Amino acid sequence: MTPLLEIDGISKRFGGLLALTDVSFNVIEGEILGLIGPNGAGKTTMFNCIAGVYKPTSGNLVFTRDEKSLRINGRKPEKMTELGIARTFQNIRLFSALTVLDNVRIARHCRTTSNFFRSVLRTRFQRAEEKEIVDASMRWLDFVGLGHHALADASSLSYGDQRRLEIARALATEPKLLLLDEPAAGMNPRETRMLVDLIHAILDAGVSVMLIEHDMKLVMKICKRLVVLDHGTLIAEGGPKEVRENPQVIEAYLGRGAAHA
Amino acid sequence: MNIGKSLILLIVAAVLTYPLVPQSSDYIIHVMTLAMVYMILAMGLNIVPGFCGLLDLGYVGFYGIGAYTAGLLTIHYDMSFWVIVPLAALNGALWGALLGAPTLRLTGDYFAIVTFGFSELVVLFLTNEIWLTRGPLGLPGIQPITVNLTWLNEAWYFQFYDKTPNFYVVALLVGLVFFIMRRMEDSRLGRAWYAIREDPLAAASCGVNILNYKVIAFAISAAIGAVGGCFYARWSMFLSPDMFKFWESFLVLCMVVLGGLGNIKGALLGAVILVCLGEVLREVLTSLGLPPETRFMAYGLIMVLIMRFKPSGFFPAIASSGRSNPLLLDLQKRLAARNAPKDEARDAAA
Amino acid sequence: MLEQQLINGLTLGLIYALIAVGYTMVYGVIQLINFAHGEIYMLGAFFCVTFITAAGMPFYVAILMAIICCMLCGILLDIIAYRPLRKAPRLAALITAIGMSIFLQNVALIIWGSRSRPFPQGALPPFFREKALVMGDISLTWLQLFIFAVAIIMMLGLYLTINKTRIGTAMRALAQNKTAASLMGINVNYVISFTFALGSAMGAVAGILVSVYYNTLYPTMGYTAGVKAFAAAVLGGIGSVPGAMVGGVVLGVAEALGAGYVSSLYRDGVAYAVMIAVIIFRPSGILGRSVVDKA
Repeated sequence: MTPLLEIDGISKRFGGLLALTDVSFNVIEGEILGLIGPNGAGKTTMFNCIAGVYKPTSGNLVFTRDEKSLRINGRKPEKMTELGIARTFQNIRLFSALTVLDNVRIARHCRTTSNFFRSVLRTRFQRAEEKEIVDASMRWLDFVGLGHHALADASSLSYGDQRRLEIARALATEPKLLLLDEPAAGMNPRETRMLVDLIHAILDAGVSVMLIEHDMKLVMKICKRLVVLDHGTLIAEGGPKEVRENPQVIEAYLGRGAAHA
Repeated sequence: MNIGKSLILLIVAAVLTYPLVPQSSDYIIHVMTLAMVYMILAMGLNIVPGFCGLLDLGYVGFYGIGAYTAGLLTIHYDMSFWVIVPLAALNGALWGALLGAPTLRLTGDYFAIVTFGFSELVVLFLTNEIWLTRGPLGLPGIQPITVNLTWLNEAWYFQFYDKTPNFYVVALLVGLVFFIMRRMEDSRLGRAWYAIREDPLAAASCGVNILNYKVIAFAISAAIGAVGGCFYARWSMFLSPDMFKFWESFLVLCMVVLGGLGNIKGALLGAVILVCLGEVLREVLTSLGLPPETRFMAYGLIMVLIMRFKPSGFFPAIASSGRSNPLLLDLQKRLAARNAPKDEARDAAA
Repeated sequence: MLEQQLINGLTLGLIYALIAVGYTMVYGVIQLINFAHGEIYMLGAFFCVTFITAAGMPFYVAILMAIICCMLCGILLDIIAYRPLRKAPRLAALITAIGMSIFLQNVALIIWGSRSRPFPQGALPPFFREKALVMGDISLTWLQLFIFAVAIIMMLGLYLTINKTRIGTAMRALAQNKTAASLMGINVNYVISFTFALGSAMGAVAGILVSVYYNTLYPTMGYTAGVKAFAAAVLGGIGSVPGAMVGGVVLGVAEALGAGYVSSLYRDGVAYAVMIAVIIFRPSGILGRSVVDKA
């Protein structure tokens, strides 16, 4: 089976600092892949490389969509979104002055085409598209359970709802792969349970998920496969049980010597 | 329709019929025409700092480009105003795109300073290329706006030397620009701009090509400025490079800031207030024996105070595009219907 | 005449450099283009002349008093206008800076009138206009030598302040990371005020030197000089103090050569064109950091 995203020997250097060193792993279609590691391991850097915010210093990213494989490293974030890679941010980045609905409507940007002239003339095509944008946005808002807040200001939502709105926004771009950067951070147990259900629903909707998460209980519960980074290198890959028992992983998290203790 | 809206319509109707009143004062018509010229400029400028969050200090450059395009085309080719307006708009948009494409990559501060430098270069060009613009002597003898309807009736050839027809021409342009702005604001284009203003990185990850949309914003804004200049040239019938100095950019920016960055109605109101204030201050300052330019002290102070105490101006920026959009009104109804049973259930439980 | 042009350009360039460091230092610590810096420069010249004509002070004392007044103005400018907006969006601070610039310019216009006035020649040391050096076609007046000396001494002083003193270290720390600096116990507002004072002092000296050099001062003088100095700061790389010095000199020489060999009509245009070209092609300037928007 061809992987959805092939990460092949990615390195990223910031000046003298190697944030990622020759990291290779695959994301397989239809899975929830957990990307874990201690703070500063390079997880978010990896996300930023995949999402196009950073250009990898070396290595290849190969994304497969509709049976076609494309080398995608160094493409701009908007191109990645267009290809079908969507993301959320570690520290929520909503358009906070806009309404909940508008946040999601903006995400329909890359799937719609109306330009200046169509917008000013308000052609039949443009009106149909606007309706489609609202309908699709509402669908995704209902999907994450925020439909009834559609016309509220994004900043008025609770923290957990803001995280879910970010997910709805990412989903509205119709991705094949969704990158979630610490989605459970700051959530209470009830919100976390809802998040688990939501991630499963996303998977059922045909979107593969890759997530960074520090809540180990959550990660072990929902991920079939984990990739562990430490100091920018990949130190383990496999099922939750294997990874948990891997001495290198224990060492990375708990410090040298802990594995033998 | 609520009272506020009817009141606004009433005022607009009153202003629009004023020049038809037999006792109308030429001075007041002149001030209202000037205010409408600034309305066009303020609406146009508003796109860049208001919708995209970028400071544009060289707006007057595009106004000047539009004015001189109109002036020169009129003098040398005797073109009709109605042909010149789209040409000047295109010329403005072209310069906007040329300037914007390489510089909009940079952070906002750099962009601000580049626009400033650009408008200064425009003034230097207008001052020094005497063969084209007659330099500091200015460009006199620009024919006023004409309407040529001789194809309908031999006698229908009008030349607008009078204040009243010019008033209606600029009112028409204001209406047109307002209409375009409203439609842009509530569209895919407008939403992309808001996204860039709110959070560029999040906008990019929603698939918005930031650079392209900034360039589009800048070009459209430049085109609108050029249209304003176009009317100004044919209305004042004289142009000189001094009319397009940084002060004008500052004045228009002040209007936008006062009215509310990112709000079209705010830009209109800001233009009216500052043009009126300018007229009053001119009188007051002259009677105090001060040069009329010192009125800019008041404008500077207004800007500082607004930013300090009321950064959103009179009208805050659009939070939701198109509250009057039928699609959203419909959605609102649907949501109300959907939430109602829940509320009832909650009430029953309580 | 090339040598003469170069010398004139160098004189002008050193003055630009003095103003440019003010922009660059403030930008370094609070990431704000302080548009009102050009007005501080203008105020420097006017304070100096006012102290000479109205208070009858000797030239050097008037300079010193003008510097002190401008430092106070700079500090007040920051406290009154910019400090309340530290956490506001950058657009708000930038607009405030423009507003303050226009405001101060018009205050000067009201106090001193719009007409340009000469520098009181009687107050100047008489040897200023005499030639200090004559080599063939080129000549150098004592005034030019004085400008060289003052500019270079001030630059050296600034360099030592930034690199060898505690407060200079604090400034550099602030430029790197404001939060971390304040966690290290640096009084952020004090350092920012100090930066404004330092920049304003340099600006005031530049204003005085220019008004003596050209024998004229007028309330709008800060406007073009400010933009040119900013262009110099950009050319050198904004945020970099040595860059501002280099940028000022390069710009001054380019302007003199441009005026001499291309067209004197576009004298001011040279600065703007250089600035736009640098911003487009090498936005980090000669010695600066990258400024391309990350997003």
